Amino acid sequence: MAILSKARTTLAYQGRATMAGVMLVVLVVLGSATVSGFWSLESLRANLLIASFLGIATIGQALCALVGGLDLSIAFVVGAANIALLRLMDGGIPVGFSIVIVLILAAAVGGLSGVISSNLRGATLVVTLGVGTALLGLVQILVSSSGVSGGTVEGNVPGWMQGLTSLNSPIGIAPCVIVWAVLAALTILFLRRTWIGRGLYAMGGNQVAAERALVPTRALWIFVFSVSAVMAAVAGMILLGFTGGGYSGVGDPYLFTTIAAVLIGGTSLVGGRGGYGLTVLGVLDLTVLQTILSGFSLSAAAQEAILGLLILPLAALYVRSPHPRMEI
Amino acid sequence: MDSRYKSFARRQTTLVTPFMLLAVLLVLSAARGPDLFTANGLDGAMIGAAPLVLGTLAITTIAIAGPAGVDLSIGPAMTLINIEIVIELPKVGITGPVAVFACAIGLGIALQVVIGAIVALLRVSTVVVTLAFYLFLDGLNTVLLPEPAGSAPDWLANWGSESHLLSPVLYTLVGSFVLWALISRTTFVRNVRLMGADARTAFVSGVRLVPTRIGAHVIAGVFVGLASIMYTGLLGSADPTAGSSYTLSAVTALIIGGASLTGGRAKGLGAVLGATDIWLISYVLGTFNFGLNASYWIEVATGGVLVVALLVGAFLANEDLARRWRIRMLRGNRSK
Repeated sequence: MAILSKARTTLAYQGRATMAGVMLVVLVVLGSATVSGFWSLESLRANLLIASFLGIATIGQALCALVGGLDLSIAFVVGAANIALLRLMDGGIPVGFSIVIVLILAAAVGGLSGVISSNLRGATLVVTLGVGTALLGLVQILVSSSGVSGGTVEGNVPGWMQGLTSLNSPIGIAPCVIVWAVLAALTILFLRRTWIGRGLYAMGGNQVAAERALVPTRALWIFVFSVSAVMAAVAGMILLGFTGGGYSGVGDPYLFTTIAAVLIGGTSLVGGRGGYGLTVLGVLDLTVLQTILSGFSLSAAAQEAILGLLILPLAALYVRSPHPRMEI
Repeated sequence: MDSRYKSFARRQTTLVTPFMLLAVLLVLSAARGPDLFTANGLDGAMIGAAPLVLGTLAITTIAIAGPAGVDLSIGPAMTLINIEIVIELPKVGITGPVAVFACAIGLGIALQVVIGAIVALLRVSTVVVTLAFYLFLDGLNTVLLPEPAGSAPDWLANWGSESHLLSPVLYTLVGSFVLWALISRTTFVRNVRLMGADARTAFVSGVRLVPTRIGAHVIAGVFVGLASIMYTGLLGSADPTAGSSYTLSAVTALIIGGASLTGGRAKGLGAVLGATDIWLISYVLGTFNFGLNASYWIEVATGGVLVVALLVGAFLANEDLARRWRIRMLRGNRSK
């Protein structure tokens, strides 16, 4: 019986892995059939660049999902970091120092969400939503100057930051794709090879068992939300180079797409199963899907609606809870 | 006797927070904007707060049905029905009060039944399903109506500018409260409570989980429809995006009102008080001269209050913690 259930679990996990891959193949075939110039070098480069923004913002979401929480503050942190960095640099603070300030503040805010939600695991979603909203509101107030609202910030973005997202860089692809690749590799290694990474799987799988095994679950929970905010801030700062101006709503698409990417990548939202490797496939899936939808000249709103419809069957596949009859 | 008193006191603790907040906010309003307490001010307050009050009542049954029963789709759902009332229904000649009420409530029920059926039959968490619906409806609204447009039917259009208290707004609100009072006392809602508190016990006790959950969403749908009518009355037109922010406000109001996100515990009175608190917060903030930053201050206040209310709620719900804290306070006093 035990062997049977183990076999089924393994199969289910492999099924998840295959699905994200199969989906990518199907989408790529669909894309090359319907979108002209899908295989052109420019298109591939652009796709990778767009994917890298989502990919970096999703690292934190994947870790949160692994321990059984979801972080809804990512979108707000992306926007807040975006306008805060430009305002700091515009205020005469050296670039490197500004970046460090934003990263430290992000870590603190993420840690705050973690501390609050660590006692309220059932309400993590609402806690992060509240913290995120309050944060973005506060940052918008802080960066606004007389007569200018904080929603958009104008200023000079340093050339090297714009170069990070430039498609015409000497190495062939935008440097920020490399940044994503490095961060992705580090995340995967971290999850597989460090005791903290293994601890995250342990507590996602069974909280009580993890505590018995002396995994510092509370500290790890706070750590994960802190990392999530830092990664969101990195994405927000890179987006500043891409758009060339600060905009508080720049993170809005990431509110749900990060969750969708994690879901497609087969990470269970209740925790304990999955990882970042397959989430990368999920990110690529979503990016190709968006390219195809834009190819049909669908508006951003229509794309949002389709994405919403897409999440439902995925959730039905991955995050079903057992019938109470099975739990007696 | 003792245990009965205890359980009564415990039942009421969830209402302490919203009542205290209400008292503070009323004092602040009296100091900052006494116009609120004129007939005109009260009427403005009534229509201003009504969409949120009814919207929060709508998601209350879903919170009761738990677990983690947060309906994130409420804002876009109200917006969709708003668009239907102003743009689509007049096209087929539906503008009369009775027909509009029937259609709005019918649409609300239809939407909620779909959500409820997915949650009940596929056993996917309410949060994930309503998250998907938020995205779907929010996108759909902008596809249906890219820009704010149109005007509400004549009888509804002047709800936002009425100047006497005995208005249709008051009658609709009172009617909704009476409806809630009647519904919440039925055996059916008692079953919903049991299911939310402990689905296993409910199942073993013979509660049919699927119809019960879908039924809870039907009740929610009625109030979604009523909230949308109030929202249309307040706005006087159709707006594809403005309503989405009702999601955060309604969830915050629900939490302030003492609803537990683990399910089984949420009160209509708490929801109404919580929603009134949220409206008063934005009213008080509105009396300050924040200029361009006004909406940001509301974001900060709503988000902050949401988190604080969650913490207070968790503290009150946890007897051990409350007792330990009280003891620590006593010791602190003694050492002084």
